[in-house]
Amino acid sequence: MRSGPATGPVEFHREAGLDKNIKILIVDDFSTMRRIIKNLLRDLGYNNTSEADDGLTALPMLQSSSFDLLITDWNMPGMQGIDLLRAVRADPKLSALPVMMVTAEQKREQIIEAAKAGVNGYIVKPFTAQTLKEKLEKIFERVEAK
Amino acid sequence: MANDTSVLHQDYVVRAREMLLQMEQGNEEESARLLDELVRLREDSLFRELGKLTRDFHDALNNFRLDSRIADIAEHEIPDARDRLSYVITMTEQAANRTLSAIEDSLPACEALEAQGEALKTRWARFTRREMDAQDFRVLAHDMETFLDAASRDLPRLHENLQDVLMAQGFQDLTGQIIRRVISLVEELERNLVELVRISGQKLLPPEKEAKPDVGVGVHGPAVPGLDTGTVSGQDEVDDLLSSLGF
Repeated sequence: MRSGPATGPVEFHREAGLDKNIKILIVDDFSTMRRIIKNLLRDLGYNNTSEADDGLTALPMLQSSSFDLLITDWNMPGMQGIDLLRAVRADPKLSALPVMMVTAEQKREQIIEAAKAGVNGYIVKPFTAQTLKEKLEKIFERVEAK
Repeated sequence: MANDTSVLHQDYVVRAREMLLQMEQGNEEESARLLDELVRLREDSLFRELGKLTRDFHDALNNFRLDSRIADIAEHEIPDARDRLSYVITMTEQAANRTLSAIEDSLPACEALEAQGEALKTRWARFTRREMDAQDFRVLAHDMETFLDAASRDLPRLHENLQDVLMAQGFQDLTGQIIRRVISLVEELERNLVELVRISGQKLLPPEKEAKPDVGVGVHGPAVPGLDTGTVSGQDEVDDLLSSLGF
């Protein structure tokens, strides 16, 4: 496979050291977006993914099973992503869980709000496969450094 | 109310009869007093009517507030919704074109690899049946190498195109969020129009409280170019903002 050019397909298989078997929860009310993220993750070598369609369904899943990463949308019916993030940070068992937001919300005050609530990565839609890969790596680097 | 009127009527009749009697008897002072009383009664009922009119006017003003919400929708939010829907058309068109381009780029490469692979398979079978002489085998080996070169050149391109098709589907989420927002506006407009019909159909009734629909606290949906302000314009600005916050 080629390497390098940003226009090429994002390659996942050559990552060094990262555990590809980590358990990831994808939360978005649009099933198409969940499929996109799931397929991108699969392409990056992460096959151990689960899905939820809003914070209310996601939270019990997070509490009953040990996930290593949460990827969530912001604007969802039921419980919004920002509230899910706050609930995760407030739960002693989940508080250290890395959380990445992938959302169309892009007001400055919202990004600041998410940062204050303890988000680990923030990606605005529409995004590229390369962006997802970079932000994931950044999160994992920090987790490993701890 | 009807009772009030008849009591009032009775008051008039009693005084008018008495006044007529006093006049006929030449009792001017008493008849003047009764006339004054009649005038006062008339004024009282005028004030009552005026009070009623004032109350109606107050109610009408309250209802007018509802009308102004409709005016606001017509003036600002309908054009806004129209621009958002136009943006939906743009996004779906872009997504469709991006998908079609990826497919158009992929199909010829797929067909070529398929045809070459099929031809090589037939010749490889001849070789394994030992039906191929050395000269033909040299040509086969050369063609095989050409095929592998083509495969390692074209397959990453196909992979890239498939990923492009995958990412293009993000339009469904983004346009869905915009359309939901427009639907909630249409629902509000419908409620207001129904209320307006109710008010003009029946006589002015106290208006029900009309609250703006709750679209969720602090949720704005995808930024539409030219309409939404205070937004970042892409991932780079998000990264800059976050790094300025110590991320």
